[in-house]
Order: sequence, then C-alpha cells, then structure tokens
Amino acid sequence: MKSIVLKGHNDGYEISLKDSASFTDILKELKLLFADLSVKQTFNQQESVAFEITTGTRLLLAEQRKAIEAIVSAYPQFTIYKFSADVILTSQAREILQQKSLHLEGGIIRNGQVKELTGDVLFIGTLHQGGMLRTTGSIFLLGNCEGILQAGYPNDSAAVIVGDFHRAQQIRISDAIAIIAQEKQAVTAETAAYVNDLHVLDYTKREQVKQIRPKLFARTGGL
Amino acid sequence: MGKAIVITSGKGGVGKTTTSANLGTALALQGKKVCLLDLDIGLRNLDVILGLDNRIIYDIVDVANGRAKLQQALIKDKRFENKLFLLPAAQNAEKTDLTPEQVKKIVLELKPDFDFVLIDCPAGIEQGFVNAVAGADTAIVVSTPEISAVRDADRVIGLLEQRNFKEVPQLIINRIRLNLMNDGQTMDIDEITRHLSIKLLGIIVDDDQVISTSNHGEPIVLQENNQAAQGYRNIARRLLGETVPLMNIEQAEKPGLFLRMRSWFKKK
Repeated sequence: MKSIVLKGHNDGYEISLKDSASFTDILKELKLLFADLSVKQTFNQQESVAFEITTGTRLLLAEQRKAIEAIVSAYPQFTIYKFSADVILTSQAREILQQKSLHLEGGIIRNGQVKELTGDVLFIGTLHQGGMLRTTGSIFLLGNCEGILQAGYPNDSAAVIVGDFHRAQQIRISDAIAIIAQEKQAVTAETAAYVNDLHVLDYTKREQVKQIRPKLFARTGGL
Repeated sequence: MGKAIVITSGKGGVGKTTTSANLGTALALQGKKVCLLDLDIGLRNLDVILGLDNRIIYDIVDVANGRAKLQQALIKDKRFENKLFLLPAAQNAEKTDLTPEQVKKIVLELKPDFDFVLIDCPAGIEQGFVNAVAGADTAIVVSTPEISAVRDADRVIGLLEQRNFKEVPQLIINRIRLNLMNDGQTMDIDEITRHLSIKLLGIIVDDDQVISTSNHGEPIVLQENNQAAQGYRNIARRLLGETVPLMNIEQAEKPGLFLRMRSWFKKK
C-alpha cells in the first residue's frame, strides 16, 4: 500500500490518495483496500461507514471521481461523503478573489452605460444621470452619483449601499428598488441603504451599518 | 495628411449641420483645404445651407457603390477658390445602404488631399452614427444648454470614448441664449463642461441671423460683426492650434441704466 493511506479520525475515516502516485495505481489499491475492509468489517459491526477522500495537491476530474465512486458502490456498507483537496483551480481562486475583495472603481459612467462588476465596490468616479453601476456585492461611495446604483445583483439582499447617494436616480439592492426623489424619508449624505428583515429597502445612519451587517466587516486580508 | 473630425450630438436640431458648414467655411477662410462629408443619408441638407444644392450630380452612396469616382462627386464651393468641397449625402437611399468600411475607405481617400475632413453625423446613435464615426480621427460633440441635449451628448461621448480615438472628443455649446443663461434658467457653460468632463472647444450664442443666412445658402461665418460668426471663427482658430480665449458672453449684455446707476452708489 504505497499510493493510498487509510486514517481514522475522531470524526470518521479518511483515505488520502498520494498526489505523487499514478491514478491507475490508486484505483488498483482502492479495490484491494475495500475488498479487504469488507471482509474485516463483517466481523466487527454492521453499521455503514463513510469515508472522506483527500487528494492533497491533486485535483480529481469528474471521471476520476466516478471511477472511485464505482469501486465503493460495490459495497453497500461503505460510502464516500466528501472529496477534498488542498488546492483549487486558479479560475476558482480568481472568482473568490473577485467576490471577496474590494474593487476600486473610478472614471465616468455616462448616460446609457452600465458598469458591471463583481464583489464590493468603492466608487470614486462620477456616475451620470442615466448611467448604472451594478455589482454583486456592496457599494461604498466617495464619488458623485446621479445615476442608478445596483448592489447585490442579482439576488444578494445582504448587500448595502453606503455613502452619498442622495442625488442618485434610483438605488437597487437585490430585487428591491427605491426611487430616491420619491422617498418619504429624507436621504442625506449620511444615509446607508439595506434590505431589512421584511425584504424591504430601508435606510439607516452610516454608523449603524456595522450593527446591521457585521459580516461585512469580518474580513481578514484579501481573501 | 489631413484630420477627419466627426461632428455629432445624439440629439437632433442642436446645430450639427450648421456647425459643420460654418466650421468648414471658417477653416477655408483661414486658408485650409476642407472637405465636408454629409452622412445624413435620406435627409441631406448640408448642401442647402452652403447653397450648393442645385449642383449635386453624384452623392456619397454613388461613390461607395462605385457608380461615380470620388473626384466626380465632390462639389467645389466657388466662393473659396479650391478650399472648400462637399461630398453630398444621398436622398433616395437609406442609412443602411452605406457600411462603416465604405465610409472609412472614402475618408482615407480624402485625407491626403485635404487639411480637414469634417463629417456631418445624422442624429441618433444607430447605423448612421456608426457609419459617420467609422473613419474619424476625433469628434466634436455639439450640445445646446438644454438638459435633453446634454443628456444625449453624455450618451454619445460614452459611445465615442469606447472607440479610442487618437484625440479625445471636444465640446461645442451651441445656441446659447444669454438672457436665460444669465438668469440661471439654463445650465451654464461651466456646469455643462464639468458635467460632460470633456474639453470645451467653443461656444456659440443663439442668433437669429444664423437661421436667416442659412436660408440664403450662406454660412453665418461670412458675416463680419456677428457674435455667432465670431464664435465659429474662434473655434476654427483653436482647431488650428491657436490659443483663443473664450468669448466673454456675459459682457455682451450691458446692464440697464438704472442698474448701472445703482452700482455707482453701492461702491461708495
């Protein structure tokens, strides 16, 4: 048994596949291991056992996972509850980075233009009337906003809009929309917008954001 | 090699054609060789403003489709010996009869022979606009102090900025009505320029004579003592690289006698 190692933890069993071994060797050894285990297990107990498969710095393809699952499925008492690796695809990493980091956005968004971003945005540019700034996360404003701000696009109602948006035409968070000129409550430069528990766009003071959305602040570094 | 400038605005009726005609004439008066390109296919009128309408034989669509040579279709304005030419738009054609590539080819063919190729863009941002901007090196955006014109200018500047011209677009604020602007009834020049965030090339005051001279097929620039004409001449000089200060239009309207008398007392 060189390519795979069976370990027992407090919270279950783990089979770690060595990332330096060839996949054909791993499959061979897995077959032997499970055949062996099924014989031994009948002497011990009858409950089913779930395994976590860890792959180190190797990423399994969908077919490779299926091949492993096929071996295990021959034994009804054994299941795999999780595949995990120490690594992720760079594309995934980039996506996470996009989602989690705060993007600085400057420049002018003109009438008819839609600027689409992912993650949280610190906007220091100018948003003209008829222009739209749209992001999946929250929007923090330092710039001049006279257009439409859309945070939490398409459906993240945890997003907030903080900063001076009192001259904006509309603000949207998730699927909630407010037309600023029609708002009963006066929107000032110190107002922050969020979606409340009743799923209605609501306003609060800028300094209250920390109480309303503590998760926004639970961030360490870039990731 | 000349410079191709598209004159555009988004909104109709702000004075693109009048600006094209007058700027072309002003540049010709400065001794530059200018070709005006009318791309408002179907609704041509640059030729009318210049008084050249009865001399049209071939038009831009004829040239694009190879029915006529470029030199055959160019109309020379005899008032400015060999300085001002017009390539007229077609009337019995549609904007879709031209492709951006065809326009680009014509502009490229014209550029070596002229100092300036001014392209008169139709209103709107569809095919006609795309055709007009295709061959241009830079753009002049015309707006009036009305909010709707400024909003459309903003939209057009956004589209122009995506094209990465060699030179950034510049702004002309046209048809300024002094009494409204001084009263704060319309946006003022600073406000418009700041809002659109592009360089101001010049301002033109609204003047009845602009319309009346156009009706006679004679651009206003040819009038010597006219504020609008001065505005166009200043713009032409700025295009040629001169530094010309902005006309002080507030001075144009002198306060009445009573106000002037009151200000004497205020000082003391």
